[in-house]
Amino acid sequence: MTRRILIIEDDAETAAYVRKGLEECGFSVETAANGRDGLFLATDGGVDAIILDRMLPELDGLSVLKAVRAAGMTVPVLMLTAMSAVDERVRGLHAGADDYLVKPFSFDELHARIETLLRRPHETREETRLVCGDLELDLLTRSARRASREIDLQHREFQMLEYLMRRKGRVVTRTMLLEGLWDYRFDPQTNVIDVHISHLRKKIDGTNELPLIRTIRGSGYMISADA
Amino acid sequence: MFLRSATSRLIALHLALVAVSAAIVLSSVYFTMRSVIDSEVREVVEAEIRGLNDDYAKQGIAGLARAIERRLAGDSKNDAVYLLEDRQGGRIAGNLAKWPSAAPPGTGWFELELYRTDQERPAIVSAASFRLVGGERLLVGRDAQARTAFDRTLVRALGWALGVSTILAFTSGWLLSRVVDRRIGDIVGTAEKIMRGEMARRVPVRGGGDEFDRLAETLNRMLDRIETLVDDLRMVTDSVAHDLRSPLTRLHAHLDASLDESIAPEERQRLIERALGEAGDVLRSFTALMEIARAEAGVGRDQFETVDLGQLASDVIDLYTPAAEENGVALKRSGDGASVNGHPQLLANAIANLVENAIRHAPGTGEVIVDVSSGPIGATITVADHGPGVQPEDRSRILDRFVRLDNSRSRPGAGLGLPLVSAVARMHGAELDLGDNAPGLRVTLLFAPPLYPQSTTRLT
Repeated sequence: MTRRILIIEDDAETAAYVRKGLEECGFSVETAANGRDGLFLATDGGVDAIILDRMLPELDGLSVLKAVRAAGMTVPVLMLTAMSAVDERVRGLHAGADDYLVKPFSFDELHARIETLLRRPHETREETRLVCGDLELDLLTRSARRASREIDLQHREFQMLEYLMRRKGRVVTRTMLLEGLWDYRFDPQTNVIDVHISHLRKKIDGTNELPLIRTIRGSGYMISADA
Repeated sequence: MFLRSATSRLIALHLALVAVSAAIVLSSVYFTMRSVIDSEVREVVEAEIRGLNDDYAKQGIAGLARAIERRLAGDSKNDAVYLLEDRQGGRIAGNLAKWPSAAPPGTGWFELELYRTDQERPAIVSAASFRLVGGERLLVGRDAQARTAFDRTLVRALGWALGVSTILAFTSGWLLSRVVDRRIGDIVGTAEKIMRGEMARRVPVRGGGDEFDRLAETLNRMLDRIETLVDDLRMVTDSVAHDLRSPLTRLHAHLDASLDESIAPEERQRLIERALGEAGDVLRSFTALMEIARAEAGVGRDQFETVDLGQLASDVIDLYTPAAEENGVALKRSGDGASVNGHPQLLANAIANLVENAIRHAPGTGEVIVDVSSGPIGATITVADHGPGVQPEDRSRILDRFVRLDNSRSRPGAGLGLPLVSAVARMHGAELDLGDNAPGLRVTLLFAPPLYPQSTTRLT
């Protein structure tokens, strides 16, 4: 089944860039250049996710979002904004957005977040055990095991691995990790997340084992047991 | 023309008020004087009537006539008026041509226009008339010419007073409005020059310390402040242009080189990746600049909440520990912790910047201590390293945007870390202090204690 994405964005170039990228990833994409058309298409139903610009002609992004939510629609919405992440994010999320991305963004970041939003419903069920290949994570005892090898993880390392494994096979960006684990909405100037990942990787991927944590160039990381 | 100036209008109004009050004062003086003169005339006439009555009683009608003639002859002021007529209306003595029909004997005090025998023109006469015991009638009065003369003098004086004060008022008004116009003109002229771009212009101060000088000084101080702000802004713009030009130039160069068809695909890939890296640096600088500007403008104060600084510091340490270890630095936490009212994201960002700076500028030097304490003068966050430190003369300079000290130019960074810390500190009313850790740098953020306790005791 093709997943349908609605892009409500007045900047034609951004819309075209995102559309092209998403179509190459196998999505079916509709676009609207202003808030009113966007709201019409959104409430028409049948879209799996909405990418919504914060500032739009005719009807601004927040109003569209409120109208969509007021109509009782739970479709995931990713807000785009040119404003500061620190404050705007809070307001956007309060209005009912599921995620928030600050312009300029890379397509990979957007793609990673859209994939996460689309899978979100399945994550709501309680899980006590996460598995990726021969790596197992027990959420109750908070212990990790690779095949027969017990892995000693520190608190943050465990959280990071859990975050990655919950999104198995999907790209997790550095900003997603910063937000998900530390709740930070600013970018550290240094590669702190990379160092965390390399520490984690040393513990997870032993010398003769299949590397599970992969670096996705230009985007972030992905955990996957597929060769 | 004249009334277009606010000063002239005020002076005209003042003039009108002066004229009205002068008229009121002068007319009240006039009426008071007049009633005084009237009553004096009456007293004189009444005294005369008593004297004439005596003459009549003692010497009869002939004696009375003689007394009248005598008095007329001795009247140096020539204002006495008499008429004595017999029972048939024949004149016995006096200087009135004819008995006034409007004033039969016994009328009492009256004032009429009558013809005197010695004057061609009629005169205003105040007089009393009555019938004598023998049936003759007598009129005794005074010519009111003295009063008329007084009236004329007074009216003339009033006219002069009004005229002179009008001229004076107009002259002083004109002079005053010229002075005011000139002073206002100075201000207007300066403002216009500044609008044309002569930013260094200032309103001239005369030195007299008057209202205009005070206004000029205030305006000049305001202009100084604006100039400082504009200069700051220009400096920021200049440094933004300067500091972003280098990465943009490199970005351009990498992309340009990647278009070369003769290069190997791996080389092209490498160039594009480097270009992306440069673009990322530019974007990070922009984000940091925007955060600084927003913190300086106080955006986000509405999101202040009680923030556990100790927890915040621990989270930052937790994030940076692996990176610090790679740089040969051990991050340690100390202090008993503290809470402040603030913006959690911005405070975390500020602590992260300080820790990042310490790791970056003091690699391989052992410990970096992040201390959070609640002291008697407020909560403090201190980040202390054992790196090269900052010379005292550079300490205020490195809080400016894009300032990078020469000995750190080779290390990564855009020179926006401390400016953000400084802006966040200002936003929280906190004091930012750069000190010597002997050796190394010790950065302290001192938060003033809240004016009222965070947890108020509920009264029951």
